[in-house]
Amino acid sequence: MIIRPVDLPEGLLLQILLWATVILIGLVGALILFGAAIQFRRDRQNRHRIACFKDWEVRLAEHLFRGGHEQGPFGEIPDPDRWLFRGFLFRYQATLAGREAEILRDLYLDLGIHTSLPERLQSRQARRRAEAAREVGAFHLTGFFALLPPLLRDPVPFVAHRAAQALTRSQDLAYAGPVMDWVLREDRYQRERLLRVLEGFGPDLLPWLDAHLPDPGTDPEPWIIFALLAGSRRHRESQPRLLELLTIARLDLQVSVLKALAALADPTTYGRVLPLAGHGAWEIRAQAARALGVLGGPEAIPDLLRLAGDPVYEVRRNAAQGLADLGHAGAAALGWLAEDPTADPFARDMAQERLEWADERGHL
Amino acid sequence: MSRAWPEHTRILVVEDDLPTARIIQARLEMEGLEVLVAGNGIEALDLLQREDVSLITTDLMMPAMNGFRLVQEVRDQPPPKGRIPILLISSNQNEQDMVRCLAAGADDYMTKPISAQVLVERLWRLFERSRRGG
Repeated sequence: MIIRPVDLPEGLLLQILLWATVILIGLVGALILFGAAIQFRRDRQNRHRIACFKDWEVRLAEHLFRGGHEQGPFGEIPDPDRWLFRGFLFRYQATLAGREAEILRDLYLDLGIHTSLPERLQSRQARRRAEAAREVGAFHLTGFFALLPPLLRDPVPFVAHRAAQALTRSQDLAYAGPVMDWVLREDRYQRERLLRVLEGFGPDLLPWLDAHLPDPGTDPEPWIIFALLAGSRRHRESQPRLLELLTIARLDLQVSVLKALAALADPTTYGRVLPLAGHGAWEIRAQAARALGVLGGPEAIPDLLRLAGDPVYEVRRNAAQGLADLGHAGAAALGWLAEDPTADPFARDMAQERLEWADERGHL
Repeated sequence: MSRAWPEHTRILVVEDDLPTARIIQARLEMEGLEVLVAGNGIEALDLLQREDVSLITTDLMMPAMNGFRLVQEVRDQPPPKGRIPILLISSNQNEQDMVRCLAAGADDYMTKPISAQVLVERLWRLFERSRRGG
């Protein structure tokens, strides 16, 4: 049987409405009070944090630079503020090196929170794991580096990233292999960005990679990273290996090697790059065009003019850019190309565009 | 190592990270230097218009106007402001960036993390060189 509201006695209906309104008002009020309490707590925490940081900033300058560390301890850090103080120290670890970095490390160790690192590195909270990994790298906690490689396979990307950064700060090339594997597991478009992380290992990384990476003929992927790193660091000692890699018929690898050779800018490699200007893949021709401009100087002008008439836009653009970068000689060639009625119309347009580009930037 | 900074030697620290700026400021003030702090290149140029400074130390990566552009802007000014020695500090270890900055007119380049002692020593050398007209 269905009871319709009209069947309810009038007094009861009023009472129900009244109580429902009271309950609703109570709920809304409670919600407002709860929000206000949270906001109040946050404000109080922020005020406390700002006050602590201001005080610690002054004390830290004394401690670091005015011999405070020789005269005694930094001063008491109350237990509830230990994590706040760790955050405070984090702000300086990327800036300070040498003696000051050692003093920062001692201040961190005095907190005693490092003893909980093994547990925190396995915490169920991703943020706790990431912060723990960061601590190991930031304060160079040698005894804890060995606990980080499993985090490179963490399902949360930023935890793995933190672990990789921390491992590079160890400067211990024993960890270069696992970090390299982590880079290779990332999407290809991410890898160039991750080169910065790998660079943290320092100048010995490239010779190590050269000696330890698998045969480039069977597994060229890691060598793409090697080539990009060699170019980014302008590592001239890697040039013989780069020239060897250039002969492996693998598009991505050859493109990366051409980028690296352009960065190294050794004119003796011009002859090795030139044959690739006629390659069937436009990606390789485009990169070769860029490299030829850098490696060949004014002698590259005839080759660049030929590439400026390539059917693919990117190749034409790079060839014209190469000419513009050559200065007056290249600009003269571009001017000639732009006004040559017998030249390819696309090449003429591109030459005109690059001339305007160079003129706007005061390159001419 | 004794460094006899002349009285009222003023240095402009351009750094967008406030804690870093303050810690550098504290170390330089310990040397007896007067320190001005700017949060980016635009603020730095504004301060340069109003104040006389003997040295500039600037971060490379900053919002609004980065260190590279700041170096170019300073060098475009007529002497003596256009010749103020500039030390670039960056967290970027990229060699190409270093070359680019030095080519733009920076006098020296340091990568973070930095030793405060080395920073002061480099600034002193730059200051001495500019005082001798080098």
